[in-house]
Amino acid sequence: MSDTSIKKPMRIDGRRLRSERTKQLIIEAYLALADAFSPRVPTAAEIAEKAGYSVRSVFERFPDILTLQIAAVDYAMAQVTALAPPNELEGDRAMRIRSQVRARAQVCERWLPLWRSLIVNQGNSEELKDRIRGSRERVMGRLEAMYQPELETVAEGERRQLVIALEALTDVESWARMREFFDLSFDEACLAWIQAIDRLLPRSATDP
Amino acid sequence: MTTTAPKAISPVRIDGRRLRSARTRQIIIEAYLLLLRESPQIPTAAAIATRAGYSIRSVFERFPDLHSLRIAATDHAMLQAADSVAERPPHGDRAARLRIHVEMRGRVCEEWLPLWRALNANQGDSVELKARIHQIRELVIRRMEAMYEPELSTLDAVERRQTILAIEALIDFESWARMREFFGQSFEEACAIWILAIDRLLPPTPAVS
Repeated sequence: MSDTSIKKPMRIDGRRLRSERTKQLIIEAYLALADAFSPRVPTAAEIAEKAGYSVRSVFERFPDILTLQIAAVDYAMAQVTALAPPNELEGDRAMRIRSQVRARAQVCERWLPLWRSLIVNQGNSEELKDRIRGSRERVMGRLEAMYQPELETVAEGERRQLVIALEALTDVESWARMREFFDLSFDEACLAWIQAIDRLLPRSATDP
Repeated sequence: MTTTAPKAISPVRIDGRRLRSARTRQIIIEAYLLLLRESPQIPTAAAIATRAGYSIRSVFERFPDLHSLRIAATDHAMLQAADSVAERPPHGDRAARLRIHVEMRGRVCEEWLPLWRALNANQGDSVELKARIHQIRELVIRRMEAMYEPELSTLDAVERRQTILAIEALIDFESWARMREFFGQSFEEACAIWILAIDRLLPPTPAVS
């Protein structure tokens, strides 16, 4: 009796762990394929093959591809947040611009295909639209935090206008155009953003 | 005598047929564009035919496939946009040029955003659609260079390029769409944001000597 009561929870944990691991592998397979096929959404058969499971296993964890897409986007967004460098809010203007630009550029570089796939395939899905909205709000929040010393020197209306302009400038597709259309290297593209942000931002009280 | 009559009538008949065919083609293109504006879903051949008031067969007689129709609609849109832009050439001081440029660009984005989205969503491996996307971006940049030549001429090549890239990113179709749809800005408010930002991105206007 006592033996069973000790072993049982361990068995359940093991099964849960395996199931979670399978779920994670399916998400990673989806992300790898979405990256490769962007903006096309990979099929269940392709995802199953990539993950090394059956199509049935995929649908046991995710009732449909949309649910899997949502889980993958949540995972990717958690990665973006986790891997973001600490906010260098204390640095001078040049340092903060450089830090924000490089962090944003790395995110754009890594997640561009998935972002495109998300935008193209959002359709009428409120869940996916919420994620896109959430992602934009986080970008806006970071811009406001990074450039607070400069933004607080202007009135509320102008502050909002500048944040909207900064968001447009540092959009994922703006990065993509610099890299794909204008053929800039990573560093050249960063420089273009640094110069533009420096011009857009007003001078703060502490700026030389 | 009997042979001269058909010769005289024949060219008129051909012209009439051609005109009607061109008109049908135009109505089909307009039906496609109207459907795109009404819904982000890519219109089906059946929906286009119904909207245009023709049969599906008529649609496919003018356009072998929907891809050809998309290309024709894009060419039509590019001509329309180019005509509108040509009506407002670069003129006046910095503030006037900023207003002319931004208001026209805003109107073009407002009018052609659905087609732009369809174009990007359907480009796939199409060399023709990719070429048009490329051409549209080139036209936007050329217009920008013409509007702000006095200011851009004061910059060295690298800074000039960086400034153009920044303005191009700012005035992209999707940037306009976000201002209108996501940030809830009116047409005038959205224009004001672009004017403020471009004014900050541009160097000072050189004094006229």
